[in-house]
Amino acid sequence: MEGEICNEYKRRVLSIQSHVVSGYVGNKAAVFPLQLLGFDVDIINSVDFSNHTGYPNGWEGSVMDGDTLLKMVDGLERNGLLLSDFPEGEEEFCGKDGDGARIGRIGNVLTGYIGSESFLHSVVTVVQKLKALNPKCRYVCDPVLGDRGKFYVPPELVDIYKKEVLPLADVITPNQFEIEQLTGIDIQTIADAQNACRILHNLGVSLVLITSIIFPGTEINDPIDNTMVEKPGDGTEATPPPNSIGMFVSRRRTQQKTMCQTMQQQNIDSEQEQHCCEEEQYVLYTPKLPGFFTGTGDVCAALCLGWTAELNDHVVDDGLSLGDFLEKLAGTMHAIVQRTAQNALKKQSRYHDDSSRGEKSRKVSSFELKLIQSRDDILQPPRSFRAVKLQ
Amino acid sequence: MQGEICNEYKRRVLSIQSHVVSGYVGNKAAVFPLQLLGFDVDIINSVNFSNHTGYPNGWEGSVMDGGTLLKMVEGLERNGLLISDFPEGEETYCGNGGVGARIGRIGNILTGYIGSESFLHSVVTVVQKLKSLNPHCRYVCDPVLGDRGKFYVPQELVDIYKNEADVITPNQFEIEQLTGIDIKSIEDAKNACRILHNLGVSLVLITSIILPDTENEVSVDKSIVEEYGDGTKATPPRNSIGMFVSRRRTQQIDSNQSTQQKSFDGESEQHYCEEEQYVLYTPKLPGFFTGTGDVCAALCLGWTAELNEHIVDQDGLSLGTFLEKLAGTMHAIVQRTAQNAMNKQSRYPDESSGEEMSRKVSSFELKLIQSRDDILQPPRSFRAVKLQ
Repeated sequence: MEGEICNEYKRRVLSIQSHVVSGYVGNKAAVFPLQLLGFDVDIINSVDFSNHTGYPNGWEGSVMDGDTLLKMVDGLERNGLLLSDFPEGEEEFCGKDGDGARIGRIGNVLTGYIGSESFLHSVVTVVQKLKALNPKCRYVCDPVLGDRGKFYVPPELVDIYKKEVLPLADVITPNQFEIEQLTGIDIQTIADAQNACRILHNLGVSLVLITSIIFPGTEINDPIDNTMVEKPGDGTEATPPPNSIGMFVSRRRTQQKTMCQTMQQQNIDSEQEQHCCEEEQYVLYTPKLPGFFTGTGDVCAALCLGWTAELNDHVVDDGLSLGDFLEKLAGTMHAIVQRTAQNALKKQSRYHDDSSRGEKSRKVSSFELKLIQSRDDILQPPRSFRAVKLQ
Repeated sequence: MQGEICNEYKRRVLSIQSHVVSGYVGNKAAVFPLQLLGFDVDIINSVNFSNHTGYPNGWEGSVMDGGTLLKMVEGLERNGLLISDFPEGEETYCGNGGVGARIGRIGNILTGYIGSESFLHSVVTVVQKLKSLNPHCRYVCDPVLGDRGKFYVPQELVDIYKNEADVITPNQFEIEQLTGIDIKSIEDAKNACRILHNLGVSLVLITSIILPDTENEVSVDKSIVEEYGDGTKATPPRNSIGMFVSRRRTQQIDSNQSTQQKSFDGESEQHYCEEEQYVLYTPKLPGFFTGTGDVCAALCLGWTAELNEHIVDQDGLSLGTFLEKLAGTMHAIVQRTAQNAMNKQSRYPDESSGEEMSRKVSSFELKLIQSRDDILQPPRSFRAVKLQ
């Protein structure tokens, strides 16, 4: 019983993302997978729009400012909703005080697209507050900056991410463009990806998931017809197959020196801190699917949070390996995107042309993720791809 | 393929309810069950609060007005999000527009607590719009007026609710307000439902009825009545709450149908009607649970979406089965919540401080997420009795 209450914080997430009435981006994409996986999600909607901003005829709705975000969290705090149900005066084992103090009950914070400096600063404040209430609170940050060479957000946010957000993040899920912006490293090879991750680990980020990497030599013109490459190879080589997208995960675990297994693990950290570190990385390739899908990064970050919540922090090995995690993530994401792509192709094959606004709306809406229809792929991830452990 | 696209509207819901950051009421209670059951839910948050309004230290947030609701729907319309993906110029079988018309793609609307007359008027406008785009669009209305004798909302809203709903899920107080009938017996419940059917409501679910002689003091200790009879008698057992469902189906008279079923309708319309009712009893659980009505209305929408509208019985799912699933799942969710709340409360020294009050309220937030499997596989704990 005591153990149960102690761990409730691990199954609660505060997710601060966009809300759209129709479609699957932001919280609409992230919350359902997390709830399916058994997390209580506290949902702060940073914007409240009719639809995502990629539609040709605009959107209706409003944006939350940084002050309102702080006020909402204050409302929760006033009502005891940031603290777990430890009774006063009773010993508890989980909090670091040990003298009856109630620890924070939100064990995970998740953010995605943030469009302004002031809102980003308020997010930082909220994360700091929740970590002060519970040192085990994990911040899972999808550092949404852009994709394929183009920014979605003001470029000024890059510095704020680097200086204020990353030092707080425990898990980060950039795409290739984003990790290149955050680290300054241009990723052409697997070794580049490893080095970029290491820079983030040195800032304190324990787990880096690069959600999509397109290595040179693997690009093919995206056909808008029906041919999809199904078999990218069994993944036993780390060489990327053609027409594939790579997913890359890197984890650094640290442990106080007294618990180190061998002297071999003592490497990267400085002399003052008696820590040892262990790093592990996996890569995996999936076939590129034709089409432009919104919301995939949001689903991906949510599944990443959900499936890494149980990964053990300690160097002594867990039940669930990092490679298993990457395979589940890739299998499920591919199933969702493929279901969406097939549905979109069926509908589009009947459109006369793309030029009218009505046709353009229909095209955009046909690519909304078939997330609800993919419930079973989330509950039982298909193991379609194999992760390769890097040496 | 054509059939698939035609039926997409049946699996889409527009849900217009409150949003709370933490806890399970309004859309936080309704959306997860619907998504679990495979519905795409378009979510309009009528309010945006930190927590529900029963907490002792207030709440933060804002309320949406009627004008903004209409604007949001207009944003959807501009982007083609109210209509289905029929290509232009191609014949369709589903819409009543005939050649090339695209029908509305939202097949269900769900509303719950509405706090102002002006917002309710905007809701009605939206409902009428979506029904004109697709005549098969069902409005599932939880007519939240109050409970146990107290109004939550202005009494003027009472009349508006009656006229637009296809499915309505009142509690005992609400159906008494809507019909003027004081429910003291099963017969009263039937008559109350009939009044709503005569206004055009196809399905009435009375979510909780406490009949006289069944009230016992609800103790706040741990004893929960687990066994209270097999439900084959229509007499309510002690310490129980009744759930009651009534459906009226109508069909135009074709040449070959029998005349026996011709009952209630007027002479001018060649219809006949069939009514069926079921009752079911569940044990009363100690505690005050918020959000249960919202979960209930969502499950009602989800599980009645497939009930066939036509007289000729093509139902895979009978109305009695529906009521049993609903009661089994609701009881499982509430019981899980009650047990969790009792575990926590047994350790609190007293309830007088504001902090203790907050903790008590939060301990009763529904364990909805933890009840996922009860929604996917409803326990059949109780038996529904068909009324003659």
